[in-house]
Amino acid sequence: MRRLFPNAWHVARREYLMRVRSRTFAIVTALLAVIGLAIPLLPIGFQLIAGDRATTIGLYAGDASLESSAATSLEAILNAGASGGGSQTSRYVIRAVQVPEDARADVRAGKLDGLLSISRGDGQELSFDLYTDQRASNQAVVAIRQAATQVSIADRLSRAGIDPGEASQIFAPTTFGITPVDPNARHPEESFGPSYLLAMALVILTFMAVITYGQWVAISVAEEKSSRVMELLITAATPRQLLAGKVLGNGAAGLTQYAAVVAAALVGVLAQGVVAERLLGTGGGASLAGVNLWVFAPFGVFFVGGFLLYATLYAAFGSVAARQEDVPQVTGPMILVGMAGYFAAFIGLTVPDAGWVRALSLIPFFSPSMLPMRMLLSQVAPWEWGLAAALMVIFLAGALWVAARIYSAGVLLYGQRASLRAVLRAVRVDR
Amino acid sequence: MSLVVDSITKRFGPVVALDGVSFSVEPGRIFGLLGANGAGKTTCMRIVLDILRPDSGSVSWQGRANTALPRNTWGYLPEERGLYLRMKVIDVLCFFASLYGVPVRDATRDVEDWLDRFRIPEYRDRKVEELSKGNQQKIQFIAAILHDPAVLIMDEPFIGLDPVNVQLLKEAFFEMRSRGKTLVFSTHQMETVEELCESIAIIDRGRVVVAGSVREVKHAMGRQVVRLATEGDGNGLAWLDRMDGVTITSHRQDFVELQVPAGTDPEMILHAAMDHGERVTRFEIADPSLEEVFIEHVGRPAAVEAERHLAERPDR
Repeated sequence: MRRLFPNAWHVARREYLMRVRSRTFAIVTALLAVIGLAIPLLPIGFQLIAGDRATTIGLYAGDASLESSAATSLEAILNAGASGGGSQTSRYVIRAVQVPEDARADVRAGKLDGLLSISRGDGQELSFDLYTDQRASNQAVVAIRQAATQVSIADRLSRAGIDPGEASQIFAPTTFGITPVDPNARHPEESFGPSYLLAMALVILTFMAVITYGQWVAISVAEEKSSRVMELLITAATPRQLLAGKVLGNGAAGLTQYAAVVAAALVGVLAQGVVAERLLGTGGGASLAGVNLWVFAPFGVFFVGGFLLYATLYAAFGSVAARQEDVPQVTGPMILVGMAGYFAAFIGLTVPDAGWVRALSLIPFFSPSMLPMRMLLSQVAPWEWGLAAALMVIFLAGALWVAARIYSAGVLLYGQRASLRAVLRAVRVDR
Repeated sequence: MSLVVDSITKRFGPVVALDGVSFSVEPGRIFGLLGANGAGKTTCMRIVLDILRPDSGSVSWQGRANTALPRNTWGYLPEERGLYLRMKVIDVLCFFASLYGVPVRDATRDVEDWLDRFRIPEYRDRKVEELSKGNQQKIQFIAAILHDPAVLIMDEPFIGLDPVNVQLLKEAFFEMRSRGKTLVFSTHQMETVEELCESIAIIDRGRVVVAGSVREVKHAMGRQVVRLATEGDGNGLAWLDRMDGVTITSHRQDFVELQVPAGTDPEMILHAAMDHGERVTRFEIADPSLEEVFIEHVGRPAAVEAERHLAERPDR
């Protein structure tokens, strides 16, 4: 058996340089880097746009004192609730109106978001009516309804002779604690968001890498076949050397592209604070606080393993195609497997502890995206890491063996219909 | 010790591509593998190069099985030319040389030397796709020899070349032979074979129908060719028809070509002519041409095959 190197290096080097020097590569990488930079800054952009726009509600009571007291408490309640309720910083402005008909016209014209009319009925009870084009389930409508209820209760209390000081005590928030079932669970509520987003990002990144860069390998093999360079290559080097060189060269080119995108994304994440301060006047943006950043170690290892596995098989399938046009057809099964892994991982995001998710996450075709996903959203037992790694090594060895056989037979298969049968025949035939 | 192809058989499914093919090539010689399209020449070469494995039989060079030989033993010019079109000439050639372990500096020097020899030094830094087919073919030849292989295997090296380039390539062949290399090439251009080859094998439908030195192969035909010209219009040669075993194969403008069976002394024709009072202006005894040898063994001329062959390759 001939040594894998240095010929695999020569092949990989040529493959890498041709790929990286191509114009397509430069354009796509630049485009992806821009996207990578933009995504971490997007939330700030949304806040910037949303922040400018306050919900303005007209208030009509007919009675000046009721109107001013209701306006003050409504504004206080609505804006207090908003700032404590999460990252959304929607503001409410309550504006007293004199002529209800004009205010209704303003609502219809979109100048006002709604008109809240308050009237005191026979039993001194306050009743509210909101004139708006929003549905009853709209977030703002719900908030206004809650605020109105509080105003109404405060009104009842004052009529019952309870002074405002006592009333504010009545409305003071209560102590409310949460005791987790598993105190070691690494997912306090506030870190679930970033972890979830990161897990999703890893799933998408893995899927794209496997499909895109795998396809590169297959196309580059088919290209050599159709340009008939292949015959010279297999005279000069062994199928294993060529196969390894292809996978390494394209893998390195893919990693280069990924490094550019990830670097841009990191710049975006680091710039979040500064940009938010400049544009919003406050610190903000999604932070990675509470995210288990150790996930990148196993992700890196399994990502490389998964890429090698897919790329090796892609090379084998590519060698069966007689022309480049046949590549999508021939590599169909690989794309199906990749898609299956993608969807499984995506569904798994919501149920990271389901039995089938745990089982699938050990299988080499799926582990690169599903194991880090489970690590971020739940837990992965040490034995699961070990088993998944062992399976990955076994599958890789098997894939290399099968792929080298298909490749050495496939590269000389010209003019035959590219099909699964041709592949199987290629494996059976000795050289 | 020579290159020995020993009774190799290769089937592709139901098709028997090679059926017990044997021949041997002496080191330092130029050997022609002749045969119609589909006769099995390419398969045979691929088996010699160990990129295909035979069902049975073996190939050895200097006593070692081809499966055990280092890859740089062989230089290969495939019939289907293929290079990386988007790479520079110098980069493509250095890449192939590197696969054979040739350092870039040595490869660069040799490439420049050969580009000069082929009179295309200005193409060194051009992309391969910018070159004409003929020039690409010369690049392909350089790719086959940069690692200084002991044996050069070339599949239809002259196809698609204009006469000037054919001449350049022939000179390259002689250069390689003078360096002690062994050259094996396939073709169906008989004049080229006559000019270059010391020995040949003719393959038809996967079998070797005849093999050996060109001289032996021609002698084995068991007849000789006589070319005769006399003063006069040549119509007075009716007496030739009455001679035993002698057949007129063609009436040319200025001579008549005759075939004489093995046992007959060709000089008797000269005597007969003088007896008939002819004034002989040309009398020539020759071996039959390889064209005739080919027709004799394969049953049809190689040229027809060549035309069909070209017609099947519209890309050239």
